[in-house]
Amino acid sequence: MSKMQTVLDPVAPATTAAGGPAFRPLTTLQGKVVGFIDNSKPNFSLLADDLGELLMSKYGVARVVRHRKRTASMSASAEVFADVKKQCDLVITGSGD
Amino acid sequence: MVVCSTAFVTLGRSQLKALGSPDLPLAVMPHPFGVRTRAEVRALAETFVDEVARLALGAGEQSHEADQRGTGKPMAAAAITIADDLIAFNDECERRRWSDGLPLVPPTPERVEQMLAGTKRARDEMVARIAPGFGEASVERIAINAVMAGCRPQELPVLIAAVEAVADERFNIQGIQATTNPVAPWIIVNGPLAATLGINAGINCLGQGTRANAVLGRALRLVLQNIGGAFPGEMDRATHGQPGKYTFCCAENEAASPWQPLHVERGFGADESVVTVVGAAGTLNLNSHSKDAADLLHALAISMIHPTSNDYHFAGEPWLVLSPEHADVLKRGGYSKADVKQKIWEQSKMPAASYARKDFERVQHARGSELGGISADTLLPIGPSPDEIGIVVAGGPGTHTVYVPTFGQTRAVSRRVGK
Repeated sequence: MSKMQTVLDPVAPATTAAGGPAFRPLTTLQGKVVGFIDNSKPNFSLLADDLGELLMSKYGVARVVRHRKRTASMSASAEVFADVKKQCDLVITGSGD
Repeated sequence: MVVCSTAFVTLGRSQLKALGSPDLPLAVMPHPFGVRTRAEVRALAETFVDEVARLALGAGEQSHEADQRGTGKPMAAAAITIADDLIAFNDECERRRWSDGLPLVPPTPERVEQMLAGTKRARDEMVARIAPGFGEASVERIAINAVMAGCRPQELPVLIAAVEAVADERFNIQGIQATTNPVAPWIIVNGPLAATLGINAGINCLGQGTRANAVLGRALRLVLQNIGGAFPGEMDRATHGQPGKYTFCCAENEAASPWQPLHVERGFGADESVVTVVGAAGTLNLNSHSKDAADLLHALAISMIHPTSNDYHFAGEPWLVLSPEHADVLKRGGYSKADVKQKIWEQSKMPAASYARKDFERVQHARGSELGGISADTLLPIGPSPDEIGIVVAGGPGTHTVYVPTFGQTRAVSRRVGK
């Protein structure tokens, strides 16, 4: 067997941050308010138009709340978070392309 | 709930986990999505709505991975037994994805110990958590990556300052690491340490041949990859990347600059050593033999104009690395550094009509409020103000300036190099 050596692991273990919001599934979409935070990537606004309309016509969602980030790679503003928290039962956002 | 395309699933899942919401549903559609026609988006939405509803009602798979929650104190690096042979070690690095592709130095406990002697900071001190994986950059783990990159102990404090700088919120390391854009952190070193460490500020300072430049940039890359979790093809989504992602580091040629050095301009003392990081999207050679200051400035400014630039899209902070000869022409013309910034900013305005239609709509959204609305006649400034044009003097003899465009959604951050 060849000679061995010890090295120290350069990789940081993936840790889960404490305190992220837990997902609470809905029991129904009927009468609920759905929020969209558009990540400003191409076509997301069109998808949100269609999904919003279909969630209302097909699943009885009461209304849709729309927000759009200024650019994809920056976080949405605190006002946006406060607004969707206040109004929405479900929030849908885009990530990447 | 998060919606993404198949190309972004790994990034999406890793991000949810790192941010502490591993069970948030991820609704996935086929990539590419952004190029689809209006009719195709509609057709996709017709079926995708059922998947969205299914996930909203809790029908998605729950994450069964054991949560490994951060404790606040960084975990000590694990010791791993590996073949004591340079070729076999590097094969193993490739297998484990520890490498940037070039051979590495084995980070044995002895070498890491020697590296740690370069700093007075405690081995288990947390320097930063690095997005997008939010791995813990302890002093020890930074030192391990520094050993692997070929750093010397005296270079460790510069690397630690660079890690602190990239983790600053204004730098937007989250965006820089995960974007499809080709972005690399460019390290600029100012102050007395640059000469002490032999960081090249002169001829070929952005090229090969100087160990300090090579290993400092390389070590930061290894930190971003191994600690930040930005492995190419996983959370690093760069379409092409760029050579600067191997290393991108130089010092300012303070002796050859007619103006205040960068770190003094940014509020530090001339005798302090300071690292500045820039989210650089490449380099472009601006070659002009002009000896007339106004003429030269105009030529540099119009060379920066291009409608596919992130700086124009997002009101960025573009940089110019003036050669000492170009800086001298400007100084002889009576220009201060502030004058140079002002003229560059004024003369690099781009007609909004240059944009492709989709990009015009995007810039209207991104910069409309900043500019009070944007029409085809609008002249778009490259950044929000002349102050946000970055100027450094570096390089050797020659009539060149290097234009360093940026990611746009980033700002340079400076940190004093500690002990």
